[in-house]
Parts: sequence; C-alpha cells; structure tokens
Amino acid sequence: MQLGFLVDLHLCMGCKGCEIACKVENEVPLSTWRLRVKYVDVGTFPETKRTFTPLRCNHCANAPCERICPVSALHYLENGIVNIDKERCIGCAGCVMACPYGAIYIDPQTQTADKCTYCAHRIASAMMPSCVVACPVEANIFGDLDDPTSNISKYIQQHQGNVQVRKPEKGTDPHHFYVGGGNVTLNPLASERIEGHNLFNNITHLPVGGHH
Amino acid sequence: MVHETLAATHAVVTLDVALPGIVWGWIITMNMWAKSVGTGIIFLAFFLLKKYPEQTGFIRFPVVAVSIVFIHIFLFFTVIDLHQMFRFWHIFFYPHLTSAITVGAWMATGFVGLLFAMAYAIYMKKDEAMYDKFLGWTTLLAIPVTLYTAGLMAESTARELWQMPTESAQMILAALLAGSATMLLLGGNQFSDPIKKDLGIILGLSAFAAFIIYMSEYIFGAMKAEEVGATLAFIKGGEYTAMFWIGQIMAFLAPMALICLSLKNKSYYLLKIAAVSALVGLWVSKHVWLVIPQLLNMS
Repeated sequence: MQLGFLVDLHLCMGCKGCEIACKVENEVPLSTWRLRVKYVDVGTFPETKRTFTPLRCNHCANAPCERICPVSALHYLENGIVNIDKERCIGCAGCVMACPYGAIYIDPQTQTADKCTYCAHRIASAMMPSCVVACPVEANIFGDLDDPTSNISKYIQQHQGNVQVRKPEKGTDPHHFYVGGGNVTLNPLASERIEGHNLFNNITHLPVGGHH
Repeated sequence: MVHETLAATHAVVTLDVALPGIVWGWIITMNMWAKSVGTGIIFLAFFLLKKYPEQTGFIRFPVVAVSIVFIHIFLFFTVIDLHQMFRFWHIFFYPHLTSAITVGAWMATGFVGLLFAMAYAIYMKKDEAMYDKFLGWTTLLAIPVTLYTAGLMAESTARELWQMPTESAQMILAALLAGSATMLLLGGNQFSDPIKKDLGIILGLSAFAAFIIYMSEYIFGAMKAEEVGATLAFIKGGEYTAMFWIGQIMAFLAPMALICLSLKNKSYYLLKIAAVSALVGLWVSKHVWLVIPQLLNMS
C-alpha cells in the first residue's frame, strides 16, 4: 500500500476548510501550519483570476527529510507515509533545510520538527484525513496509489496528461499530485510575494530564527 | 525561466501564512568557522612537523590546545543550535547513517578523542614520537570532519545554491585558510622566514582558490538553475550585497594583497594583518552563503 493525495485545483474554491480542519485535528500552534491554502491573483484588472493551492507535505518516496534526519525521527510507515516521532527529534532543523516544499516547521511548543502526516493516527483507525472530510467540494482525493481501483488511481488515470507534482526536478518522487495546476500555482518563483497587508492578512516572514 | 513570465502574468500572492525566517543563523556560522580553525591547524601542524621537524617542535602543545578549544567551540555551537539540545545523545543511540549529521557527529567524536590522546602524549608523557603517531591519524580524520558539513549542505535538497563538490572544495580551502592564518598568529616571530613564507603562500593560495570558486558561482550559477539565480539576487543588489563583498574582500582579496606585499618586503607584521583579516572575513563569507538560500520562498 502506498497512500497518496491528489488535489483537483479546478474544484478548490479556497474556503480553507481543510486548513482549519487540519489545525484543529492536529492542534497545530499559531504561526505554523501543516496544510495551508495559498491564494495567487493572476492578470491585470479587469482580466484577473484568483487561484487557490492547498500545500502540504508531499510524502515523497525519496524523501530528503528522511535521509537527512540524524536520528530517524522522520521515518517511513509501511503505507508510504513519512511520519515523525516527536519524542526522538532533536530539533536540528536539517529536515527544514532539506524539504524543497517548505512543508516542515519547528513546533514552537514542543521545539521539534513537525509536518503533515496525512493524519496517520486517523488512517490507523480506518478514517480519512481530516482535510479530506472537511472539503465541501471533494477537491482532496486520498487513497492507495498501488490499488488501481482506488479513487485516486482512477482520478490519475482519467486525467492523464494533466497530473503534476511540485518540483519534479528535485527527484523526490512525491506522493502528492495536482490536477489543473500550472506554474503560477505550483512554482513559488512564478509569483511575486509582496510583504505587507494584502487580502485579509499581513503576508510576512517569521522573525530570524524561524520560531518564537 | 518562470520568473521572467511575471511581467506577463502579474501573478501576486494575495493570501498566505507567514514563511519561516532564517532557521540556521549565526550559530551555525560559528560552528563551521570554528571547525575550520580546529581542523585546519591540524593540517598545518602535520605539514610543518614533516617539513621543518627541527624548527617547529615547539608548536606541538599549542596546536593541540588550540584545536581542542576550537573543536569544542564548534561542538558547543552545534549543540546549542538544537531546539532540543538535551536530546543530543539520540545521535549516538538512534543513529541514522544516511545523514551527514550523524556521520559527522561520530567522526567529530573520534577526532576529539585523538586530540586528547595527542594532548596526553605531549603534556603528560612528553613523548613526541607518540604525539606524531597520533597526529597522522588525527590529520586523516580531520579531512572528513571538515568536509561533513559540505555533505550536510548537499543533502539539503531545498537549497540549490549548496552544491557538491563545490562545497567540499570550499570547506577544505576554508580549513587551509583558517589553519594557516591561525598558525601564523600562533607561531609569531618564533618561526623562521621560510616557514612564514610557506604559511603565507598556503594562506594566499587558499584565499585565491576560494575566491575563484565564489566568483564562478556568482557569475555562472544563475545560468544553470533558476533557484540559484533567485538566491544570488540577494547578493547582487539585494540585502546581503554589502556583507557578501565585505566578506570576499576581508577573507580573500585583502589577504592575497597583503601576502604579496609581505613576501616582497619580508614583513611579518603584514602577514599577521592578513591572517586576522582572513579569519574575520571567512566568518562573514560563510555566514552570507549560509543565510541567502534560506531567504528563498520554498512554497
């Protein structure tokens, strides 16, 4: 079994329900996130479009974070999930340096690395990840990539040619796919990130040190 | 190049969370810098004791003392940078050998053990032959100890700027630069002119080679990868431009010029200035190179 995620960006409407569900389910502290939805506005008024991209750990089959972790705190589960043992983590932040998707953070409460685990604890109880349950339009599709009859496998087959991963050039073999993505949604260099007050929030960087 | 499409797409992030700031900051710079001194002085001690055994015997104890001090500065800053520093022992009891951090920690431990063996040989036993035997093994181990951080940077898949084998070359050159500079300051006028000249040449050539590598990356890096181009923008008119050039001048250009002058004028005073400038500049250069890839938005 190799669990994977697929997000159909045609369906996502940027409600951030998944983001909130993840925060609540995993008690993710303020100023950090396991899953977030990024808004990128494209074009010049009146020809404009807003895109929404949920971003989370890609659970790579060739995960740089697992490789660099000095104590195997980041490790693979049999179902392909890259899990984290917070009791073992020494907080060296090597994984933060290694992850090309910026998906790992240092938890300001436990002072250990943390990230999306595809809600491994829920999966162990035969439940779907909380973000999948919360999505009102079923844009998050989760399942076994090894099973050709699973929803995710069927979705990938039906949308061949339009299925993408983030940063394929890194050779990480992500188990997280996007349908309907493009450079603007999947490549952070393809959009400007202007610090300061924007739509409803203050887009900024955390202070030096990356944690409080 | 995706970045060049911005003018056409006007794509702007309008809602997002705060991104992490610099996670590996000055503490890691101190770590790398102190390691360069601690291992570099061993390389230079091995060279001097082989080439000038009669004239350099007095360096045996000061060298091992300086190396022990700087390796412990390196270890101290390594540990205090951990967010869970009291779990440092996990590296030894739950080792993950694909990680350069683990391999480096094991090798650094062995290196420290050999340094103490050298100190025991020269201070307690007064046995120079035993010291020199340990020095050979210590010099061998100093090579991977000084290089493992390059392996760690190479394993940092997200940071395109840190490439192998460039980082390996920079680490070994940094050790030679820091080692020769420290040896010049340590030996003082007790060294004969030929020894000073040798140390000056090693310092100057290390600075020259390191500067060439930095400039090669500065000029050509952006032509290979978009992320490298975006990272280098921070030192090409960006917020770290001044600091980058201060580092390059102090670590490499000024020492090269001062060494040429000192060799011409046979002035040890200029060599000392070159050594101090190289040590300070090395810290600045390493810091800039460490920090700028972390300013790039990964997502």
